[in-house]
Amino acid sequence: MNTAPPQRAGVAGSADAVAPPVRAADWYRRKRTREAMLVACFLLPSLMIFFLYRILPLGWNVILSFEYWSPLKAARFAGLDNYAEMFLEDDVFWQALTNTLIFILASPIAILLALAVALAVNSDLKGAAIYRTIIFLSYPLMSVAVGIVWRWLYDERGGFINFVLRGTGLIKEPIPFLQSFGWALPSVILADIWQVVGFYMIILLTGLQSIPQHLYEAARIDGAPASARFLRITLPMLRPSLFICAVIGILNSFTAFDLVYVMTGGGPAHATELLVTHIYNMGFGETRFDYAAALTVVQFTLLVILTFLANRAVGGNAGSVESA
Amino acid sequence: MQKRRDVLKLAAGTAAASFLPKKLYAQTGTKKLSILTWNIIDMEPLFKQWFATFQSQNPGVEIEWLDKKGPELPAFYQTQLAAGTPPDIVDIQGGLGLEWAGQGALLDLTPMLDKEPAVRARFNPEYLANWVFEGKNYLIPFYVSKSLLFYNKPLFKAAGIDYAPKSLDDILSYAKAVSGADRTGFLTLNFDWLYWPLFRMQGVDLLTPDLKKPTFNTPAGIETADKLAKATADGSINKISWTGRWVEPNGAFAAGNVGMMHAHSSAYFFVKTQGSWITPETIGIAEVPGYWSTPNSHGYAISKGARNPELAWAFLKFATEKSQAMDFARGRTLTTANAEVDKDFLAELDKNDPTAAAVLRTQIEHTDKLTGNWRLSDDSAVKNIVWAEMQNIFLGRRDAKTALADAEKKVERELRRT
Amino acid sequence: MRRRSHILRHLVMALVCALMLIPFYWVAKTAVTNENIYAYPPRILPLKPHLYNFVDVWYLIPFARYFANSVIVSLIAVAGNIVFNAAAGYALTKNFAGKRIVVLLFLSCMLIPFQATIIPAYLVSARLGVLNSYLGLALPLLSTIVCIFVFKAAFEAIPASLQQAARIDGLGELRILFRIMLPLAKPAIATNIILSFIWSWNAFLWPLIITRDVTMQTLPLGLARFLAYVEDTTGALYAFVCMVLLPGIIVFLMAQKEFIRGLTSGATKG
Repeated sequence: MNTAPPQRAGVAGSADAVAPPVRAADWYRRKRTREAMLVACFLLPSLMIFFLYRILPLGWNVILSFEYWSPLKAARFAGLDNYAEMFLEDDVFWQALTNTLIFILASPIAILLALAVALAVNSDLKGAAIYRTIIFLSYPLMSVAVGIVWRWLYDERGGFINFVLRGTGLIKEPIPFLQSFGWALPSVILADIWQVVGFYMIILLTGLQSIPQHLYEAARIDGAPASARFLRITLPMLRPSLFICAVIGILNSFTAFDLVYVMTGGGPAHATELLVTHIYNMGFGETRFDYAAALTVVQFTLLVILTFLANRAVGGNAGSVESA
Repeated sequence: MQKRRDVLKLAAGTAAASFLPKKLYAQTGTKKLSILTWNIIDMEPLFKQWFATFQSQNPGVEIEWLDKKGPELPAFYQTQLAAGTPPDIVDIQGGLGLEWAGQGALLDLTPMLDKEPAVRARFNPEYLANWVFEGKNYLIPFYVSKSLLFYNKPLFKAAGIDYAPKSLDDILSYAKAVSGADRTGFLTLNFDWLYWPLFRMQGVDLLTPDLKKPTFNTPAGIETADKLAKATADGSINKISWTGRWVEPNGAFAAGNVGMMHAHSSAYFFVKTQGSWITPETIGIAEVPGYWSTPNSHGYAISKGARNPELAWAFLKFATEKSQAMDFARGRTLTTANAEVDKDFLAELDKNDPTAAAVLRTQIEHTDKLTGNWRLSDDSAVKNIVWAEMQNIFLGRRDAKTALADAEKKVERELRRT
Repeated sequence: MRRRSHILRHLVMALVCALMLIPFYWVAKTAVTNENIYAYPPRILPLKPHLYNFVDVWYLIPFARYFANSVIVSLIAVAGNIVFNAAAGYALTKNFAGKRIVVLLFLSCMLIPFQATIIPAYLVSARLGVLNSYLGLALPLLSTIVCIFVFKAAFEAIPASLQQAARIDGLGELRILFRIMLPLAKPAIATNIILSFIWSWNAFLWPLIITRDVTMQTLPLGLARFLAYVEDTTGALYAFVCMVLLPGIIVFLMAQKEFIRGLTSGATKG
């Protein structure tokens, strides 16, 4: 069993392992090194995976964005040509950029909805487990199916939404949701919210479950009303989870790829084009991997800025709770 | 301490040899043939049989068969190209083959076809010519189709029409007569260039014959686009025409509330299973006015990076031979562009399923009037530009004149880029 | 008073659930009837339901093989996620030089869409020699950043006094993580299991790119194979999707009990 003294908690076999008695200052220095080693070891497996499958590909994209290249053509330096084309000539890029931002800015709606649901199903409400399951049900569903069923729901002639709206007399003429330039993007966003609300919910549930109960008990003994308990305890303690939700909202602007692709293919006339669908079309559709790489770099930069802002919005340190 | 080691061991164990690959695919064998097809896994028994026969004729050959669905096949093939391991033979749909040829991925088959005129003579020359890029032939037909008109005879009758349309104006006026309440008059598939016959029958072509300049921004082009937009706005044309791809338009037509549908032959088999109204008496089958149609065909190509191009060519010859092509036509109920096979197969089908035979007969007639098959290496870029503006016009966001002028400018720029 | 608020909450939840279930109902209904979903007016109740589609899914594709492959890959992914994410999440609760950079690095690693990494990711896997293998299928999914942050958040909510007490008792960091922190972060573990399972279970494009052998393919790849056999694609597609969905739901239900702890029960037992 583990009989090692606590200071040996570093990497087995490191020089520290056979530490002779030393002066206090030295001991602290070594303890810090040991902790740094430990942190590094804990981070290493994840970092390795991300290095191979995220950072290297990102570097590949960055390099490619300054070249002319396709799988069979030798790379040629292109300078800023790809970027110039994107910013000066590509209308679709600007449209996709706007749509992506709208997509991201709509995510707080879904997060608030999920928060309300999470609070409701995290209580002693009878049947909470059933509600929770039903709301989560849409998240593991394959996006192809979600796209096709929502296409039909929105259909102008045979679709269920128009059927209900007309049946109840709310509208006279059917609305061609996915065929109209005004409705298409909101419609896709709604379908997306339907799919991901369960995802937000379980992140928030995890957060709610992690809040130490004694905080609530203390507050109750102090006679704090429910609203105060929510504002003083729940919300601040939920900050990390809300940050994760915000990040998921940002990511969703490209994880919704399948859904958008199936529902509208980015149309009509790019009204639902996102940067990620544009990237895919340029790369695998038009075999312009160089240009797609430039788009990827720009999208990446944009999302980094947004994540940074989200981080600031929840108070920095990736939404950490400052606990004593 | 012990625990720590266990954890480390576990991590190492996960990564260890137990899950290493069975084979590496940096092939070195010279007698290996890999074949990538486009979503025809249902033909597995037939393919397996072909492989066995081919292997008995070419002893020692190993065959790897890969099959991917349309949306993912390009991603798979491009990745394999980048890794330097492209499949030797690839089945490609539509204009994509020419894009890949332009990219330098495919082998020029012209010398082989020249050397063996008997092989060239198997095919309908117009379908074969679909894949001639800059004077070189990169693909040979595997199975072919082109667009035609289906119409709902009961709906036509109720509207007092008993002829198939003979012009765009006919199409639009019939559509208007049929439409009303929850009925619409006309529907078209739109992917690739499947909507283009609507323009071509009005004398509007996309590009000059040398493919250097756009020619669609003319008074006739504007007028056609305008007409289609108006007919869409008043409900004669179902809006799914401009946004749907496969399931939606076919589903809508099968539901029985649409007068006509412009689609290629495979739509018939899909629609038939979903529409209980469809019988030989109720479904009308007609050529598109002016006999114009857009092909939607599959061809075989050989990758330039093929390890054994002669063997690949031998397989292509084998697979398009009469007996194999006939089995394939029977298995899938389709036309192969092998002229002899199609003739025999249709004669056979006339006895078993006359409606299907009537549908398929349109696929091999008037093949001199194919449109929407421009031999461009950047076909999809041009297609996306034009299509986005067409959607703008048809769905009423922009007027035809300015939108087509814009499209023309962008197409010119795209043609200059390559 | 309390009862009234409960009834109100039930009403609201029932409404939300009904809205969530409408699309689902159509998926399930079409799967058992093959009805044309574009028929008008829509038929609310299924006419002559049957299970042919489900039987077809079983027979037309090598279901057992695909299923087994999916299970193996998902198990690797889930195991990797729990161990690696917990370790990384715990490390991120510590203060160390360059932490801000590591956090930013992690966050920014997420911000590149998979669609843009297909080719380099394939080339990396080829270099590692893991093409067409279970490890190669699972490798990119072995650690996921969202889940690292789920762990980080859960660990941060645990009172620091517990860790300090453990340290005074002479426990090493590994033991603190496994003996103290993880047992108190059960909801985070449950979330990790659920999410990493679903992600690897539903993964489509990556398995499609990296496998060449039919015997290595996972369940979602069977979709294309299955649809090629049937003319009427929608009902068949939905039947297939229901069968793919089921294991995800089962994992969720099994992990659910970690979310059941209501507000009334005590939590952190110090």
